[in-house]
Amino acid sequence: MNQPIVIGIDAGGTMTDTILVDHDGNFKIGKSATTPLDEAEGFLTSAEDAADAWGISLETLFSGVNVVLYSGTGMLNTLLSRTGRKLGLITSKGMEDMILMGRGLQAWADYSYADRLHAITHHHPDPLVPRRRTHGVTERVDHFGDVIIPLYEHEVGAAARKLIADKVDAICIMTIFSHVNPVHEQRIAEICREEIEKAGADITVYTSHEVRPVIREQSRLNSVLIEAYATSRGRKQLKGIEDVSRKYGFKYGVQTLLSFGGLTSINHPRLHETMISGPIGGILGAAYVGKLIGNDSLICSDMGGTSFDMGVITRGQTRIENEPLMDRFKLNVPTLHLDTIGAGAGMILKVDPLTKKVSLGPESAGSDPGPICFAKGGTEPTIADCDAILGRLNPHYFLGGKVVLQVEKARKAFKEKCADLLGVSVEEAAEGMIDMLEADANNALRRVISGQGIHPSEFTLLSYGGSGPLHLAGCSRGIGFKDIITFQFAAAFSAFGCTTADYMRRHSVSTQIDIPAKADDAALEAFGARVTAVWDDLTRAAVDEMIADGHAREKITTTPFLMMRYTGQLEDVEVMAPLSAISNADDMRKVLTEFEAVYAKVNHRVSRYGEAGFSITELGLIATADKVKPTLARRPLGKSDPASAHKGVREAYIGGRWHKANLYEMDLLQPGHEVAGPAIIEHPATTLVVHPEDRVFVDEWTLLHYNHA
Amino acid sequence: MLNRSASPARLRERLLESEQLMETTGCYDGITELTLRSQDPLKFETLHTKLRAFCVSAREMARRISASPGVREVGEMVVAIYTPEGDAIALSNGIMVHVHTMSRFIKWMIRNGYEDNPGIREGDIFANNDAFIGTVQVPDVMDVVPIFYEGTLVGWAGAVCHELEAGGITPGGDVCLAQERFTEGLFVCAEKVGENDELRRDYVIRCERNLRMPIYWVLDEKAKVASCIDMRESVKALIDEIGLDYWMKVSKEFIEEGRRGQLARTRHLTVPGKYRGHTFYGHVTEGKPGFQPLGDPNWLYNIPVEMEVSTDGKITLDFDGTQPWGYHSMNCTPAGMDGGMFVTLTQHMNFEGLVNDGAWMATELKLPHGTWTNPDNEMVATATSWALLLPAYGVFQRLLSRGFLARGYVEEVFVGQVNSPMIEMGGKSQYGTQFGMAHFECAAAGSGALAIKDGLDTAYVGWNPESDMGNIEIWEQTMPMVYIGRSIVPNSGGAGKYRGGCSFISTWVVNKTDHLRLVTSEHSSRVFDNGGMCGGYPAPTCQKHRAVRGSNINELAEKREPLAHAPGTDPHVSDLERRFEGEHVTLEGPYITAPHKAGDIFTHSYNGGGGYGDVLERDPVKTAWDVENGFLTQEAAESVFGIILSEDDDGMPVADLEATRTRRAEMRKTRLRKAIPVEEWIASERKRVEAADFAPEVRKMYASAMKLSPRFASDFRDFWKLDPKFTLPAE
Repeated sequence: MNQPIVIGIDAGGTMTDTILVDHDGNFKIGKSATTPLDEAEGFLTSAEDAADAWGISLETLFSGVNVVLYSGTGMLNTLLSRTGRKLGLITSKGMEDMILMGRGLQAWADYSYADRLHAITHHHPDPLVPRRRTHGVTERVDHFGDVIIPLYEHEVGAAARKLIADKVDAICIMTIFSHVNPVHEQRIAEICREEIEKAGADITVYTSHEVRPVIREQSRLNSVLIEAYATSRGRKQLKGIEDVSRKYGFKYGVQTLLSFGGLTSINHPRLHETMISGPIGGILGAAYVGKLIGNDSLICSDMGGTSFDMGVITRGQTRIENEPLMDRFKLNVPTLHLDTIGAGAGMILKVDPLTKKVSLGPESAGSDPGPICFAKGGTEPTIADCDAILGRLNPHYFLGGKVVLQVEKARKAFKEKCADLLGVSVEEAAEGMIDMLEADANNALRRVISGQGIHPSEFTLLSYGGSGPLHLAGCSRGIGFKDIITFQFAAAFSAFGCTTADYMRRHSVSTQIDIPAKADDAALEAFGARVTAVWDDLTRAAVDEMIADGHAREKITTTPFLMMRYTGQLEDVEVMAPLSAISNADDMRKVLTEFEAVYAKVNHRVSRYGEAGFSITELGLIATADKVKPTLARRPLGKSDPASAHKGVREAYIGGRWHKANLYEMDLLQPGHEVAGPAIIEHPATTLVVHPEDRVFVDEWTLLHYNHA
Repeated sequence: MLNRSASPARLRERLLESEQLMETTGCYDGITELTLRSQDPLKFETLHTKLRAFCVSAREMARRISASPGVREVGEMVVAIYTPEGDAIALSNGIMVHVHTMSRFIKWMIRNGYEDNPGIREGDIFANNDAFIGTVQVPDVMDVVPIFYEGTLVGWAGAVCHELEAGGITPGGDVCLAQERFTEGLFVCAEKVGENDELRRDYVIRCERNLRMPIYWVLDEKAKVASCIDMRESVKALIDEIGLDYWMKVSKEFIEEGRRGQLARTRHLTVPGKYRGHTFYGHVTEGKPGFQPLGDPNWLYNIPVEMEVSTDGKITLDFDGTQPWGYHSMNCTPAGMDGGMFVTLTQHMNFEGLVNDGAWMATELKLPHGTWTNPDNEMVATATSWALLLPAYGVFQRLLSRGFLARGYVEEVFVGQVNSPMIEMGGKSQYGTQFGMAHFECAAAGSGALAIKDGLDTAYVGWNPESDMGNIEIWEQTMPMVYIGRSIVPNSGGAGKYRGGCSFISTWVVNKTDHLRLVTSEHSSRVFDNGGMCGGYPAPTCQKHRAVRGSNINELAEKREPLAHAPGTDPHVSDLERRFEGEHVTLEGPYITAPHKAGDIFTHSYNGGGGYGDVLERDPVKTAWDVENGFLTQEAAESVFGIILSEDDDGMPVADLEATRTRRAEMRKTRLRKAIPVEEWIASERKRVEAADFAPEVRKMYASAMKLSPRFASDFRDFWKLDPKFTLPAE
């Protein structure tokens, strides 16, 4: 093998996964525990694990690679553990209680269906800045951008001096409608900086219109607070990773992943945009695999211990979520849309002794104490225990044999707590539980597809994550996918996906352009000119930022987009512009037609209402520049008999009875091999269960295609 | 030609048969055995989860389409899937209140021969907002579509949204000024409004020409129809998979299972027996413009509630003894009363989500004919029925909580919450166009306390546990007012060992209009409608509205002089009066006056919840935090809770534990000094009762209750040991 050229690292809550890739697309995986206090430690151990697998030293690895790509959870942990910086806040007078009142929905958003209804469980997240360090200054701007009440500058000075005396690390500024007219925020920031300088203090000032110039003050407030609160330590962690990389000979800057799917240097000015990046890698990886196999409609599905995440690419388009939640705070950071349901191998199973109702989760046993079969103190049966009881998991090959599964222990507890209450056999109950989990996931996939407005037979399903292949058969059965694919590197697919990303910037501004239903040609042309002017400004800003990051102008490509709705609606549809500039009425009509097409696809044709007119609420631009990417190796198909990967036979319970299932070593499967179920294909980090009559085919890229009977 | 249903059994006969079977077997549709469930419990469970998922995602889709901040921002919507007979099988999250109201609507159509005329066909869309057919109030507009599978009617999909504008005598949806049905707005009475999956153009035109802000209603209609079609298609795909026979059986078993589950849960969580509670509601409209002289200007309502839990777990609520209906908009129909029951049960007992009409079947409502809960006149207005409905079900929350407490489920105890007053408006918008809307930030009040912690501040309303107030920047796009304050109201949670959640107040300056009509509704005056528990105080009554007409806010701002951003905590002089010049208005109860114009200031506040437990047991440290953060005033901490606070180096309040102990010891002594034996108190009060020495509204309230309910009259006489012939003069 050649020298690796890309290191992709995905530091999750529990494990840090590394993937090394060379020019020909060969790769090796490394794993180690995540080290939240100093992420560089876990980063290095994981990289070393992968370097060992490759057979090279850390020095050889780092001195030879072009790209080090790190996506971590450090900033998220700072937020979750409330260990961020000491903040002060200046906001519009009269709104100071906003941090305590929150949006009411933050008291229950992210809850399970049951807890959303069960009102006594609701509570507000702890605010990031206390009320005592929140100061109001008299001012108001309305939604047209008109100043309704002028800024009382003397109040700003007093507030700034108080916050300086309180020894804050950062001052955040958020006033109402500052994204429409930032004049007051700008002046408040100026006065704060003057006061800080006078006091000789070291305090950073953040304004909401700079961090996130988008409508909804609560979300803008959360964005600016989180940026100030959590990213500075994150920046240090990223710097630490760059430092150790350099120590071992890396010559360039470390890159990290944006929540909307591009790479940026770790000096990115709005680092909170990288905080929800972990699962995004999967969608990027899917886009990459899609190109290989020639299909641009893909569903990627990641099943781990607690959740089942689904990302969609429909005819080459990904959906952007504009108001995601982070630790129950509503943000307006554009994020590649993921649908998530609670479904994973760690889910705790319960049977209500009174009503005999079965419930899966939402709690997960996690990795500590973990399922009962881990014998680390877990006492609640989980899906993983069912997998072990039914012989689908190899008790001696879990994490390559690092954990020996205690099947009898799991069986005994499961019988007592679940099977006996339901009055059925242990096997029947265990398979029933797995069926329920898989049906939940199966149903979630169907819902995701039905929201895309195209037939399932256009989609290829990609399944990965530690538990993805284990439950693949049930999750995908009967949906009618064009193809179903999993990977030898399923457990590190997200890290792999990160390495396929391009450099990217996404700039946007809120607008209020209302186009009447009966606008004439002259009006349409004028609207088009306004749109084009904004796109031109955005292009300049994005390109300048990328040039500053070291990209050559000719390598940068730009794609404009619009957020549109029928006038009066409150939710936008993202429309990729069918042209790069609008120069006449027909061009503008093309944009409107494109909006109506996208809208009808996402919603339903009955809900179209062109009579109301059209509104453009946000204009944006995506600028990208290419990066070296791994290429999967293409090898000729060999013979179909997989005997060279065969490693034995095990009893496995599938479809209501025990079978003698053939066992295969996943890494030994070669292009052309075909495995017939019942069979179990094992890998140290994942297991693929092939149901009776189903088949698995290994293609020339060594991708595993699952074919239902 | 009229279309006939293709289903083999005529629907109306089927409905009667189903009800007959329930009557004779005690089980839904005569299902005495859950056969499919016992054959394959896990498949059964999986299917039900699947149906719920259909509903949840259909609702999400509709929220994307809606133009109404009520639906998009604060989630005023629910969808559900029904049997052919109209019983709910599965439902989404959202305003759960409507699940059984839609059921009544479907059954009403079946009973009224819709199969023959106007016909029930594939692709039809039916809408309704008539509360006597099945909804709560005019703005709650529901749409249902039949689900046919190979020509057989196999169910219904339904969706309901709360509309922000209903075209009534006052703008908005909770048409406060309506005193009869004829001024409540646009009625759609179980009407076929669409065919072949399209809304009829003439129906849309009717909406466009009869509403102040038709886009809310029309796009919500489209949203609801899209979500119904989505559910319908999902159900059909599911039947493809499981077969028609299985579907017809399993959908009914789900409901019977829901009924059994509800009974089991009640047995598990409560203690059988009779529970009684009481609340009141005061409505003050005297001297306000627009009210026709049909009834009294001021109303006082007495709402006694008796809950009986039987040993098999059935809950019966009896409203005997409450007032007659009146010429106001607060009457309720049995459909609305069902809704209140449903929304309460789903929050306290049936939150797992596999809830359906079975839960409703395990309960019973006794709604005395002629009262506001069951008017004997279908011309009455119900536009603000929440006003009385919510206090009534607040009592239910506390009765259930007593059951939980008795059974040891302390953590489930919840004092609940009642009204959160609505503000609605219309006139000329900041864009220079006509407009009308309900401002739904009221969907985030303070909850009642729990038995283990304080209530939730600014994030709960009884009618929708997924409560929210939405963003200022969204609301301001829809109305010609800008916020100069949105802040927590100190002392707005009922006091107690655990206090009720606090509410917030909004203060606006009218902007860019010369004609803004403001109307508010659903506030109880002078009496508490929102009780406490186990010694906790009730939540305060509603705040009064304050307005400044022709304020000098612009001159003050020019000179950079301080403005007021809330009324403040001084009961004698408000901050508005201190800071602003202009015509100051202070108004109790619903706000209905002449239009406002740019430069006027207006305040409107929401409600807190009741407290739990003795105030003298409240934690002083938590109280210091409350004072620091504006949930309580220092005066209240001291005078109500006996908690003495001093200041730390930063001037922030800290609890003085020693001084607090001393103060509380004194307060306990004062309590003992003031206490008199109950018998003595009853004896002295008895004299007043006998002499009918009451305020006129109180006298009238008891007189009307005694007239309408022999039981209440006899209980009243027994309690006060009055002459068996005792009556109260009505006037």
